[in-house]
Amino acid sequence: MAVELMVNGSRRRLEAPEDTPLLWALRDDLGLTGTKFGCGRALCGACTVRVEGVATRSCQMPISAVQGKAIATIEGLRESHPALVEAWVVNNVPQCGYCQAGQLMSAAALLDGNPTPTDADIDAAMSGNICRCGTYGRIRAAIKQVAEGAA
Amino acid sequence: MIRPQIQAFTATHGRGAPANLSRRRFMQGSTALVLGAATPVLGAAAGANRDPQATLAPNVFLAIDGDGGVTITASRSEMGQGVRTALAQIVADELEADWSAVTVAQAVGDPVYGDQNTDGSQSIRLLFDTLRQAGAAAREMLCEAAAQEWGVPAAECGAAEHAVRHQPSGRKLGYAQLVPAAADLPVPANPPLKSRADYRYIGKAQVHVDANDVVDGQAAFGMDVTLPNMAHAVIVRPPVLGAKVASFTEPPAQPGLIGVETLDGVGLGGTFQPLGGVAVIADRTWTAIKIADALQVEWGESPHDGFDSTTLAGQLRELVRADGERMFDQGDVEASFAADGQDVEALYETAFLSHAPMEPPCALANVTAAGCEVWAPVQDPQSTRGLVAQQLGLDPAQVTVRVTLLGGAFGRKSKPDFVLEAVELSKRLARPIRVTWRREDDIQHDYYHAASAQYHKAKLDAEGRPTAWLQRTAFPSIQTTFNKAAVAPAGWELEMGFSNLPFRVPNQRFEYAGIEPGVRIGWLRSVCNIFHSFSSNVFIDELAAAAGQDPIAYRLALLGESGALEVPGTQPPEGHALDLGRLRHVIERARDASDWNAARAAGRSLGFAVHHSFRSYVAAVVEVQEDAGAINAERVHVVLDCGTYINPDTCRAQMEGAVVFGLSIAMRGEITMRDGRVQQDNFDGYPVLRMGESPDITVELVASDALPAGVGEPGVPPVPPAFMNAVFAATGNRHRTLPVRA
Repeated sequence: MAVELMVNGSRRRLEAPEDTPLLWALRDDLGLTGTKFGCGRALCGACTVRVEGVATRSCQMPISAVQGKAIATIEGLRESHPALVEAWVVNNVPQCGYCQAGQLMSAAALLDGNPTPTDADIDAAMSGNICRCGTYGRIRAAIKQVAEGAA
Repeated sequence: MIRPQIQAFTATHGRGAPANLSRRRFMQGSTALVLGAATPVLGAAAGANRDPQATLAPNVFLAIDGDGGVTITASRSEMGQGVRTALAQIVADELEADWSAVTVAQAVGDPVYGDQNTDGSQSIRLLFDTLRQAGAAAREMLCEAAAQEWGVPAAECGAAEHAVRHQPSGRKLGYAQLVPAAADLPVPANPPLKSRADYRYIGKAQVHVDANDVVDGQAAFGMDVTLPNMAHAVIVRPPVLGAKVASFTEPPAQPGLIGVETLDGVGLGGTFQPLGGVAVIADRTWTAIKIADALQVEWGESPHDGFDSTTLAGQLRELVRADGERMFDQGDVEASFAADGQDVEALYETAFLSHAPMEPPCALANVTAAGCEVWAPVQDPQSTRGLVAQQLGLDPAQVTVRVTLLGGAFGRKSKPDFVLEAVELSKRLARPIRVTWRREDDIQHDYYHAASAQYHKAKLDAEGRPTAWLQRTAFPSIQTTFNKAAVAPAGWELEMGFSNLPFRVPNQRFEYAGIEPGVRIGWLRSVCNIFHSFSSNVFIDELAAAAGQDPIAYRLALLGESGALEVPGTQPPEGHALDLGRLRHVIERARDASDWNAARAAGRSLGFAVHHSFRSYVAAVVEVQEDAGAINAERVHVVLDCGTYINPDTCRAQMEGAVVFGLSIAMRGEITMRDGRVQQDNFDGYPVLRMGESPDITVELVASDALPAGVGEPGVPPVPPAFMNAVFAATGNRHRTLPVRA
């Protein structure tokens, strides 16, 4: 089917089967490979993007369901959330880096709704995102650093 | 061969990169990312490769262009351990380079770089001297060029901050100005190396060179590389190792389906050859996944149809309850066990584990009449190149293996079966093919970390000290992946925490046994150290408890004061024998850092473990909190002595990651098999630690001028036993399995 997606503020047209998960449309059709495939079953969070601001596992979200909705991916995050991205770099958060796009999109959604999250808020918002390298402590520190800047 | 459309896989850091070194971004847009291009293999003879840019390239590891931009080539694979940054720090230090002028390129698989196998936590250990010499050679050539320009003795010239200064006159020339003349000079064979006090980047924290690309979604992993006309393959592999495709129902023709191919595979002992199966090739990943998910395949019989991990666990228990092959025997073990005193014995068991890197295995291959080009997240591009050449009947010179970033690896991606699949399919379909493993493929078709059993027995004298000690280990050897008849554990597997047990007792015996597995066995981050550190550290705790003594004080009393541990039949690399004094030091540091002897709040308990592996020393204290029967790891203190370290922040990050990895092993990790089939297939059945379960972690690094040693792996082994010892301290329940059983 022909689909029109609003990605990072740009209107993008593509032709793909209607059950195509947003993840694969972003990666294979739109060339936005910053969003990662990790499990295909919304278990690991590597594919997290934001749909109308909500952190969403794009591997389980068919393109037919997100037509016309505002989709934000990692490629637009430095522009929309510069302090968050910079906090990730300053804290040297990424190890292999593969899960970090999903981590960052979840963190952006958390902070937009709750600029000064508690540890429990961070746990609740971030526990859907697995990091096999074990960068959780630095992710927490980076989120808190941004929160302190906002407080 | 396709000449890729963009420049090498590179990264720069700093905001002040010279104009010609502006960030080399990967092409992005509707045609997706295209990665690749030649990393130049630089000639050893400077001058011979003069070009209009007048590049100074004294060796294969660095080049300085006419604008002073420095390209350092990383010969090891980046999988999160920060190696691209650390290798560049070493070269830049001796070169006296401005860090913001440094770009890191990634080497293709080629013997000109020496050993490229990113494995065994030894990249820094093996490359430290070589890379210092590489940087120093260029620095000396630049100084000599300046001296000639000024007509002064080179001894009066010194390099600093990307320039050479003539000390007596204060004159100064930047590297950019000196490159043309320096490139004509001979390369010094033994350039002087800086003294430790003058290190500028070695030992100093640096943000990883790829960090900005990662957070911008621009870093290129294996799954992100695209070629024109590329098709996507997803493979349905045999559910039981060694089973062949008997038949399958052809999927109906449908939009996007390009082809279906049956692949031959190998069984146990097949090294890194693919498993075979049925490949679905389609125009997009999703289409290939969807058709593969629905594919009905009938499989033939396999010798492993009856393989069962529960049965294997019972066999391993029986093996360690009986005499094994003896590898170490001193004193009179039988007589000392027959003497008076308290016997303590325990049997430990550990489960199969899967690597489960966040990026599942994947590879892009393009086989053409001219040869083959591969883009893949591989830990050893040279051996990959050799295997690809062998498979295609080509000369290795016709095969190029380009290493992308690795989205996690932990040992999985040094076994390039996934590359060989892509190569075979590209050859058959005569177009570029990307093979993508679904998570289910990854967890069900891994080279698994071996399940194991250990038996320990000791005799304690009236003071609680062991006078006799027997330990046995049994597990399916990694060697069976290369030769299915080679079931006995290899010496190098036993040297991972078993034969080099640092606690020596007058009467001591070590025995081992092997068994044939029904799955492929492979090395996983810290390998056999996982179960040997677990059993020995928990057993020492059991002895301390039996003796009524503090576990740390008990260990210190058992250890020799100092000196090198002698392990019969082994010869550690020079300068890397197990140093009992360094081991003692990390124990004492961890005791003090954790305030071990201080009273804790109700429900808070501590556990300790220490382990030497990959030539490094790591002690860990895990603090657990018991809350209404639930036990959580709240805080972990780690002390690392890895000798001379390059990037202390990376060392800390690796210890932090090792704690999370180790707690996943202790609390969750278990792969089981029934009827030859792996019973888990994703992160629901094979859970790993998540944010809410991750403890606070503090890391202390031991300042040391000893030779550089491992960092990526040695943090893992002490974590599971320290956790289990803390659980005992909290509950009085002694858990002897990995993972912990309720």
